Amino acid sequence: MVRVVDEEHASLGIGLGHNTRDGPVRRVCSKRFSPDFGNERDTVEQIIDPIALYLICGLGAAGVALALPRRDREGGRTMTIVGGLLLAVTFGLGALMLGLKAGASDSPLPNYFFYPFAAIGLGGALRMITHKRPVYSALYFIMTIIASCGMYLLLSAEFMAFALVIIYAGAILITYLFVIMLATQAPTGDKDELLDEVDAEAREPYLASAIGFVLIGLLTAAMFRGIGDLPQPTRDTTLPQAEDAVLLNLPRKVDRVLERNDLLPEGWRVARDAETGRAILDVDARTITLELVDGEDAHGHPNVIATRVLTSEEWPADLSANNLDRLGYNLLNDHPMMIEVAGIILLMAMLGATVLARKHVELEEDLKAAQARKLGAYIGDQQGGAS
Amino acid sequence: MMTSSLLNSMVSTVAAIAPDTAGNAAQPAAVGHGPSWVLLIPFLPFAGFLLNALYAAFGVKSKLPAWTTVGLLACSFIATLSMFMGYDGTPYTVQAFEWFSIHYGDKSFVANFSFYVDTLTIYWMLFVTGLATLIALYASEYMSHDVGQGYNRFFAAFALFVVSMSCLVMGDNLIMLYLGWEGVGLCSYLLIGYFYKKPSAVAAAKKAFIVNRIGDLGLALGVYLTFVHFGTVQYAELFASETLQSYMAAASHGDFGAIPGEAQWIALLLMIGAFGKSAQFPLYVWLPDAMEGPTPVSALIHAATMVTAGVYLIARMYPVFLVSENALPIVAWIGTITAFLAATIGMAQFDIKRIMAYSTVSQLGYMFAGLGFLTPTGGAYHVLTHAFFKALLFLCCGAVMHGFAGQLDLRKLSGLWKVKGWGIVSLGMLVGCINLAGVPFTAGYFSKDTILAEAFVTPGYAFLGWVLILTAGLTAYYTFRVFFRVFVGPVEYHPGDELHDHDHDHGHGEEHSHDAGQHGDHHADHFHPHAPGWAINTVLVVLTGCSILATGLYFVGADKDAHTKHYADTMVSASSASYHSHYGTHAFEYYEKDPEHYPQPGHGPRGSIDAPLAMPLTGGDPHKMMYYISGVVGVIGIALAWLLHYHGRTKASECKMDAIAKRFGPLPRWAENKWYVDELYHAIFVKPLRIISHVFHWVDKLLVDGIVNVFGFLPRVFAWIIRPSQSGVLQGYAVSMAGGLAILLFVVLIIVSRAGGAS
Amino acid sequence: MLQIIQPAQLAFPEPVEASVIAPYLFVSAAMFVIGLVGFLTRKNMIIMFLCTELMFQAAGLALIAFGRHHLGADGQTFVIFVLCVAAAEAAMALALVVLLFRHRESLGASAWKELNG
Repeated sequence: MVRVVDEEHASLGIGLGHNTRDGPVRRVCSKRFSPDFGNERDTVEQIIDPIALYLICGLGAAGVALALPRRDREGGRTMTIVGGLLLAVTFGLGALMLGLKAGASDSPLPNYFFYPFAAIGLGGALRMITHKRPVYSALYFIMTIIASCGMYLLLSAEFMAFALVIIYAGAILITYLFVIMLATQAPTGDKDELLDEVDAEAREPYLASAIGFVLIGLLTAAMFRGIGDLPQPTRDTTLPQAEDAVLLNLPRKVDRVLERNDLLPEGWRVARDAETGRAILDVDARTITLELVDGEDAHGHPNVIATRVLTSEEWPADLSANNLDRLGYNLLNDHPMMIEVAGIILLMAMLGATVLARKHVELEEDLKAAQARKLGAYIGDQQGGAS
Repeated sequence: MMTSSLLNSMVSTVAAIAPDTAGNAAQPAAVGHGPSWVLLIPFLPFAGFLLNALYAAFGVKSKLPAWTTVGLLACSFIATLSMFMGYDGTPYTVQAFEWFSIHYGDKSFVANFSFYVDTLTIYWMLFVTGLATLIALYASEYMSHDVGQGYNRFFAAFALFVVSMSCLVMGDNLIMLYLGWEGVGLCSYLLIGYFYKKPSAVAAAKKAFIVNRIGDLGLALGVYLTFVHFGTVQYAELFASETLQSYMAAASHGDFGAIPGEAQWIALLLMIGAFGKSAQFPLYVWLPDAMEGPTPVSALIHAATMVTAGVYLIARMYPVFLVSENALPIVAWIGTITAFLAATIGMAQFDIKRIMAYSTVSQLGYMFAGLGFLTPTGGAYHVLTHAFFKALLFLCCGAVMHGFAGQLDLRKLSGLWKVKGWGIVSLGMLVGCINLAGVPFTAGYFSKDTILAEAFVTPGYAFLGWVLILTAGLTAYYTFRVFFRVFVGPVEYHPGDELHDHDHDHGHGEEHSHDAGQHGDHHADHFHPHAPGWAINTVLVVLTGCSILATGLYFVGADKDAHTKHYADTMVSASSASYHSHYGTHAFEYYEKDPEHYPQPGHGPRGSIDAPLAMPLTGGDPHKMMYYISGVVGVIGIALAWLLHYHGRTKASECKMDAIAKRFGPLPRWAENKWYVDELYHAIFVKPLRIISHVFHWVDKLLVDGIVNVFGFLPRVFAWIIRPSQSGVLQGYAVSMAGGLAILLFVVLIIVSRAGGAS
Repeated sequence: MLQIIQPAQLAFPEPVEASVIAPYLFVSAAMFVIGLVGFLTRKNMIIMFLCTELMFQAAGLALIAFGRHHLGADGQTFVIFVLCVAAAEAAMALALVVLLFRHRESLGASAWKELNG
């Protein structure tokens, strides 16, 4: 499966579906989402019938409302199943509508991988909020995160995809699991009478679902109206975020790649601009200027003895700015202040968590007694079940 | 000696600044700045006020507040004296701080907290601070039964009164005057209601305050109209303003049609204010009741100083009054009516303090009549002499009241002169009485003559002059009625039952600790009045001396160049309150010298001046004529009093007058009941107002309160509706947040689609 | 499998039309709303915090999608910060949950409703 996609879109890498390097780009440039031409209806209708969208929202709301946890004696189990079915129908309907639209229009659509990732992500999210047991909720959330990672990959955010798995699924969610296990006595069996009261039922499921799905309708309407006005992306190579342009700022990386490809004799390096220290290379013409340096002059500037230009034929195949390069450059070059702020936030959070968690709490007598009763009932139940 | 030399220097400057040529004496437009120690005059009493307040806060239980007040007031008096000595004839201002200074467009409203010093100010401040010092000293003993209780409060209000009076008299603009005006009103209220546990005192305080409101409204409107019309409230600017000068030029020819009605209304409005403060008909009713206050208060505030504020106001704003066609005639008529009416009431009263109160009202009527007769000099001179002898009379009455446990009924006191220790009081009373009665060659005699004579000089007022002469006779009668009943004759006294009840428990020793104070009907042999102490006697002696010496002022300070005849004349004529400088020299002299060019005074009935009308009896100098007439009238009044109230009297409560009074039918009873004016006011004003207030009370309760309550109730209903939203359940808040977000998004979407697509 | 992640194939992405990222945005919105609904309905504080994490995820997905459209790295950088905040929030929230649980022996948010906060 992966290979097929790979072959089909080899030139795109792990890009976004039907685009090719030549065709779609020009088409995009020719058919701009200009304010006078395109509008919200245009954009929405390229993807899905608005009526169908709102129908799906409504169905989803009903499904969520039904599937939210409630007591078994109130028909909770049946309701959950009905809700789940309803949601499944909604998903199917959504996929069908998207597919129909995709078949009928020539507008570019996402990669096929999008559909399973979206289904898994949303399904995991739904199950997370509908499951009665917190541990399962957390695990379903991990599933959602992994599906999101898939979508990140589809959106060419490879580094963030893996960072997400590591940080979220690996660290944060594990912390959640720890706390869940610390704070709840997990009952055995499926009897929800033994569940903690806070897990067994939802509050105001209908109202919340109604609000939520009104909101989703409005959000999508607003977003689809707005993205019609997004500026058209271009491949302006003078901008640092453009393709490979970031290499100008990474002369050492260029040095390393050239060295790996045996294109850099001893003592040579990529020529640097004396003022800014940027590498002298032309990412459009694909030429690289090299220089031979011997020591420094009186002012501390490198003593250039000879220069040489590498032609586009000699441009090494693996000399390109990858996602990590651009992300790292962006992070450290454009947002240094925010790194500091984030550091402070994390430090404060750590201190706060430490202070809060080490507080010793003296339970009141009646609470202690209630807890003991609860525990006794639980043990009694265990023993009763065993005998 | 120093005074006379100063007077000479002053007088020469007066001549320099008031060239009596074209009728309009230009006030100096640019007023210089004076020495800042002048500020001590109001600020020392203010310090006294603050200190007394501090004492009250700390509960001082000694005579410390009295000595503080006396000391600071004495310093203030000394500062006033220095001001008098150092005055070089040019008015000046002393600014304490900037108060109002608003400039808009080409106009401005400036009223600084500054003081304007000219001869009128000095003249007034001298007796205000001097008398205040003396009376504070007197009060230190008089109020001694309240040491530790109301003593601090009394002297705090006393000092505050002097501050306010200084602001009133010395302020360099009408706003300052208004500040002082309200300040003295407040202090008067506080001091009348000093015995706040006594219902009658509280009622009197309220009455004084409320009646004064009417006058104060007039004053406020007058000040406002002054600013609107002349664009300034500062005296110096106002009197120098070309508008006012042109009006006065018109008025000097009797051409009142050339003066806008608005300008003429100013004087009428200010006049209402003066009537309220100076207890003129029909607003005089508060003053007799104000005698509920401690006697020093009656002496200082309600006889000597505060009640003359109306006279001061008119004198100070005399140019403005001169340009009003009707204001001064009304002042003259009202003054005369008041003088006569109060004298008739005073004749029939039995409470000696009340008699003095009505006599004050009556004498204030004289002063107003003097102002109306175009002799502000006479008014001001009478203010001064009256201040001394009326303060003296009140303080004597106060001493009697103090010594006889609140007894003020002249039917229950007799022959005090012969009682041991009461000589000084009796002497003071005699001096005060002869002054008030206008016995020849007393200060009151000369000052009254100054006014009376002008009634016959100024055209159209001869009738009022005769009424005032009759009133002078009545005054002499009721004055000596008091003297002959209370101070001479057989010795007999009954203690009163007011105020001094606790006096015998502490403060005056054991010799008075019997029960006489509690029971008014005890016989004299059970009761030993305590004679006044050194403080009261000192003050009485000083005031007696002042009253006698005030006569001398009639003979000093004359200035031939300025055509002024005596000290008061010189002082007043050099200020804005000058009739002379506005209309040339003294009208009569001018007429004598040059009848052809007698300037049309512009007041009184228009038309030619008839010499026989002006001098109906002698055809000569009306002042000389008046010396004889009023002297004779005064003596007749005294003789009547002697005959009816002294001759053959054997008991305190019975005299020949009782038999004679029966012949007059109900008249004496009506007079005793003050001609039922209070009852009339009660029926005409108070009753209807009370009915209306009841109506409005219910309107307020049902309608206004109802509306207010509805508005108070609505938030409660609203809170009751939205209270569940603050449930404390976290998700409840989240729901509203999400709902709010949805609504916002919806609104934004609608706005965007209304705007015709995003752009 | 490895071929997918070959460096050559991690080349600079092509520009795409808005309609390509629109479905991602829809998924993002749906995920956000599901998180919201979960937050509103569930009583367990831990689940509520999980739901906020889900909303973070949704925001991150939208950021990445927009960043993809703009061909820049800013979107991804922001996701890094979102992760930061999420981690900080998780640490604080869980510490709080533990503390609150110790006080009341209950994970219910309504156990604290007398605070009326």
